[in-house]
Parts: sequence; C-alpha cells; structure tokens
Amino acid sequence: MDNFEKHIRAHQNEFDDHKADKEKLWARIESELAPPKVVPLWKSRGFRIAASTLLLVGLGIIIGFFALNATTEQTQLVDQELLDIDMHYKSLVSHQVKLVQNHPNLSKEDKTEFLGFIDELDQEYELLRLEMNKNLDNEIVLEAIVKNYKKRIELIENLLNQINKSKTINEDYGYTL
Amino acid sequence: METNIRFTHQALVEKCKTGHRSSQYELYTLYVDAMYNIGMRMLGNKEDAEDVVQESFVDAFKNLTSFKYESTFGAWLKRIVINKSINYLKAKRIPVVPMDSHEFHLTNEEMEETEAVDIKKVKTGIAQLPQGYRQIINLYLVEGYDHIEIGEVLGISTSTSKSQYHRAKKKLVEIIKAL
Repeated sequence: MDNFEKHIRAHQNEFDDHKADKEKLWARIESELAPPKVVPLWKSRGFRIAASTLLLVGLGIIIGFFALNATTEQTQLVDQELLDIDMHYKSLVSHQVKLVQNHPNLSKEDKTEFLGFIDELDQEYELLRLEMNKNLDNEIVLEAIVKNYKKRIELIENLLNQINKSKTINEDYGYTL
Repeated sequence: METNIRFTHQALVEKCKTGHRSSQYELYTLYVDAMYNIGMRMLGNKEDAEDVVQESFVDAFKNLTSFKYESTFGAWLKRIVINKSINYLKAKRIPVVPMDSHEFHLTNEEMEETEAVDIKKVKTGIAQLPQGYRQIINLYLVEGYDHIEIGEVLGISTSTSKSQYHRAKKKLVEIIKAL
C-alpha cells in the first residue's frame, strides 16, 4: 500500500459528505416492516395470572354463595328445630306454672316464692335466647337453654311431687285418724 | 478487544431481533448516514442510494436473527448495502468492472508508487472515473475491503480484483494529475 492509498484510507470519513433524509427514509422502511410484534393478550403472562386470579376469585364467590345458601338452609332447619323444642318446653313450663298457680294446697306465699325462682330462670332463659340469636351454632348456649327448661320443669315437678306427697301423707294421716 | 468491537450495540441489536420498533429506529439512526454515503458512492445518485438503503435496512431487520456477531453490525449492514448496490448496477446493466478486463495484465503491469494527494481531488477524480472503475476503487480505497472481499462482492477472482484495481487506480491518478 503506497502513500496515496494510506492517505485515502486514513481520511475515509471525509468521503461521507452526504446526509440522508432520515425521517422520509424511515417512513419508507417502517411501511415495509411487519407491524411490531404484538403478543396476543391471552398469551401474555400477566394476563394469564390475572385470568387465573379472576377465575379463582370467581370460583370462590360461587362456592361461597352456595355454601352460604347451604348454611342459610341449614340455619333455617336448626332454627325451626329449636323453635319446636322451645315451643314444646315453653308450653310444658307454662302448663306446670299454671298447675302451681292453681294448686289449692299451696299457700300464696309459697306460690310467690316458687314462682320467683321460675321468674329468675325465665330471665336467664331470655339472656340465653339473645345469646343464641347472636350465635346459633354455639352448642354451649343451646345446652344451657335446654338445661334452663329442664331445671324449671324439674323444679315444678319437684314442687308438685312434694305437694302431692304432703297431700298423701295428710290423707293417710286423716285416714288413720 | 476485537471481540468487544464485534458486540457493539449488542443490546440494541438483540432488542431489534424481537421486532422492537423504537430500537429498530435507534439502530437505524446510528447507521443511516454511513449507509447512505456508501450508496451514494456506489450508485452516484440520491434516488438509487435511497432505494438501496431502504431495501438494505428492511432486509437487515427482517433477517436480523441470522446476524451472529461474526462481524460488527455495521460491517454486516454495510455488506448488505454494497451487495444490493452491485445488484442494482447489474440490473441496470451498468458495468461493475472495466469491460476490457484481462487477468494477464496483472503480471505485466508495474505497481507505481503514488504520493498522497488532496482528498477533495480524489473525490473529484473518483466521480470522473469511467463506469466499471469506480466501484472497485471505492470498495478498496474508501470502504476498506480487501481483494478477497471485493472478489466475493463483484463475483470475480482475487487476482482479477487486484489487476482491476491497479488499472482503476492508474486511471484515477491520471485524472487527478490532470485536475
């Protein structure tokens, strides 16, 4: 390579004396290029995650809805059952209280004292009922309500038994006399 | 060092491979003037140079996945522009090598030592070269290709490239001297 060649190669940049019309050329190039790669929405990872989340949430809502319905139905059944039990005990207690009130062999004071106990149990029952409304699934409260009824009935039964016993004794005594 | 040069603009090129349009534009702006000047030197007019540059960038972006950093991106793109320019000239039946080329001239011709001359004069001289001489002078002197590469581009042997170049150079020096 002689000096002529070396000199030209060393000054290659000086041969670049033209400027391209960049924007015009780019517009032509771009028109021939395929549209920018667009990843279909359903193929994008983000969309898949979002769709999966939505599906799970949707399923959760549906399952929850049915579960809630089932619970509501169950609740209604339990509620009805409790209502029946309550009615049964209520009528039983009410009947026995009437028996006590109308019993001829009981003094007014005895009746008042005894019915005072029953009233206390009634108040306890009301509290338990309120508690039961708040939390129907609470078996402890349910058991307490049943116990409350049983206690009232037991008390009344005991009282009536005692009255009957004393009556029998009195009758026997009368009979021996 | 050479390895580093080959990977010039690698990140940008890789983005372009995915079809990222703004990266393609960025890469285009880095090389468009250089490529346009090659087109102008090879073809000699604005319209043809623009056509070749346009086609070259389109081909480059469409076939970018085949670019494996065996050269710089610039060298790869330049080769596309030069190949397209030669094909363009051939399609227009413009000779890319002198019509009276004969390989036997090579051994008989003396290699004259030429001194450095003003670059402006060189540019004027190249512009006045007859068809067929200009391309080989541009490829060797300005684009920096060796005779093996010129042989590949012009579809001639390395020895023909050498003889043609020397004849073209002799002609150029004559023109410059006459300026």
